[in-house]
Amino acid sequence: MQPPAEFVHWMFATGFLLLGLCLLAQAVVGDEVWRRRPWRTYLWPGLAFLMGVLMWPVMVFFTNSTIHMVAHGSWAQVMMLAGGAELGLVRGKLHSRYWRLTMPLAFLVSGASFLIHEQNSWLFARSAFLHHVIGWTMIVGAVFPFVATFRPRSAVWRSGFALTFVVLGVLLYCDRDVAPIFGHISSQAGTPHR
Amino acid sequence: MRRLQATVCYLIVGALAFPAVAAAHATLKHTVPGFGQRLARSPAFVQLRFDQSVKALPNAITVYTAKGKIVSGQTRSGADKRVVTAPVRRLARGGYTVRWRAVSADSHVVAGVFTFGVRHRAPPATEGFGSSGPTTEEHVVRWLYFLALALVAGGLGFRLLVVRGPLTERAERRFYRVVGLGAVGVIEVGILAFLLRAEDALQLPFGDFLYGDLSPLATTRFGTAFVAMTLGFALVSAFVFLAWLTDRTILLWPAFLLALGFASGLSLSGHSAVDAGSSWLSELADWAHLAAASLWVGGLVQLAFVVWPLAPDLRRQAFLRFSRLATVLIAVLLSAGIYLSVLRLPTLSDLWSAGYGQVLLVKLGLVSLALLWGAAHHFLVRPALERGRPLFAGLPRSLAGESAVGMAILLAAAVLVESKPPPQPTPSPPVALNSR
Repeated sequence: MQPPAEFVHWMFATGFLLLGLCLLAQAVVGDEVWRRRPWRTYLWPGLAFLMGVLMWPVMVFFTNSTIHMVAHGSWAQVMMLAGGAELGLVRGKLHSRYWRLTMPLAFLVSGASFLIHEQNSWLFARSAFLHHVIGWTMIVGAVFPFVATFRPRSAVWRSGFALTFVVLGVLLYCDRDVAPIFGHISSQAGTPHR
Repeated sequence: MRRLQATVCYLIVGALAFPAVAAAHATLKHTVPGFGQRLARSPAFVQLRFDQSVKALPNAITVYTAKGKIVSGQTRSGADKRVVTAPVRRLARGGYTVRWRAVSADSHVVAGVFTFGVRHRAPPATEGFGSSGPTTEEHVVRWLYFLALALVAGGLGFRLLVVRGPLTERAERRFYRVVGLGAVGVIEVGILAFLLRAEDALQLPFGDFLYGDLSPLATTRFGTAFVAMTLGFALVSAFVFLAWLTDRTILLWPAFLLALGFASGLSLSGHSAVDAGSSWLSELADWAHLAAASLWVGGLVQLAFVVWPLAPDLRRQAFLRFSRLATVLIAVLLSAGIYLSVLRLPTLSDLWSAGYGQVLLVKLGLVSLALLWGAAHHFLVRPALERGRPLFAGLPRSLAGESAVGMAILLAAAVLVESKPPPQPTPSPPVALNSR
């Protein structure tokens, strides 16, 4: 009854891509233009919060190992936290800019979860390779929202932040469970399927 | 423009609304017999199918009887390296536990446990042979769970049923902090409780437990309750957050109703649902007992720590309204509690002779103390306040004391939930009138 594993990756890839494109558009046109329509200010933080809520079903129905369950739970929580903090800031319920540090925190926690929950080595299969790449992308990419917290007008850091989400989206779109990577697959990985 | 915005929103939600399950590596895909399956006759073998090749050790699959006797032979791999099989002897009627352990092709050990029955109900995986618990940690975790539930359900109930109007800014902020803490606590402590129960069942060292298969546990009543309650309280958290964000108290209503509704997960997976004598009435009584206790303790916390220090203008009104609500809650609490005690304790002497009864006695002692405390508030303080007399100076400390007793009752309840009630006496066979 369970849909193929990659489907869930693709669905969240769609979310990350939309999130990244919104952030990129905001960085390119500037806050003044972006906020001309009030609903747009809530768009990406709301999307991040919603993705966090929707990660909970993945966590509770995915119980075939403890580490995977915990990893999905941590993603759900940090996405809700970072999205919620940004919503609070744009709504004026939160005032300290340090709340924006929840985003680099979310990147670090998520990246670490990706690396820890992947049991296999880099070249085991495509999904293993991508989990390693995504984990490190998030850990290194945490520097963009971190610096953007203190230099909110810098287009470079904000664009970097946005493009990190776009890259994550693309990487998740490439994810397949047991598939060769660069034409290679470990002899231990089992027969490629789907 | 509005239609375009709505369409975009629907597309985004639609793209994200069907999250599936992310699978990974050396995952158990299929077993023969299935998890918790009741078989009409003895199986010839137990077979596990993984999603990738695994190395089968000779004792990779071990099948135990309820008394711990091993009834399986040496495990073998077939031509398909994803499948491992162990032959079993001809099995008598009863429940059986399968403990398996395989080395994943990438050298990681994957392990798990499941149960099946032969002409007999399969025991839950948490009660299979070799499972242990509950431990002291589990009692504490269960207590924290009850506390978190009281903070969220009781806090929301207090805000919606007692303090209906606006609060001061500081009181409102503290209200959301307390309720938010409760909502997040229910989720976090729930995950911890599930993992501790899984650890009891799997009996693996921590390193192996990280890769242990939890899916058979998710199919038990406890696991199903965990799944439903985690999803339910994720929604509760989202509604509480949105209510805070938009300053719309109306959004607290769905959060309150969901919190009360999903609290029934505990009643549908506990003693009231599975023990002898259980029925829909015992489940309903258990839920009413739990809901009333949560509303009472959570309401007291709000009164003592939110309204009293931060909303002085509302003290008198809030106290009087809560006092009226508490009377109803205590009535529900006592009636449901007495019914459940009678159901679970076959004889009065079980109260002092059985472990379950002794814990219940401690709980009853604490409940009596709380009732006396509440009665003092109801019969001494309330009439004075209704006559417009000045507020009693020691009242905030007294309310905090009553809350503390309420929390102690929840601790006794946590131990009680994890304890086994005494067995029900089996009815003696009818005696023939003319037998001599």
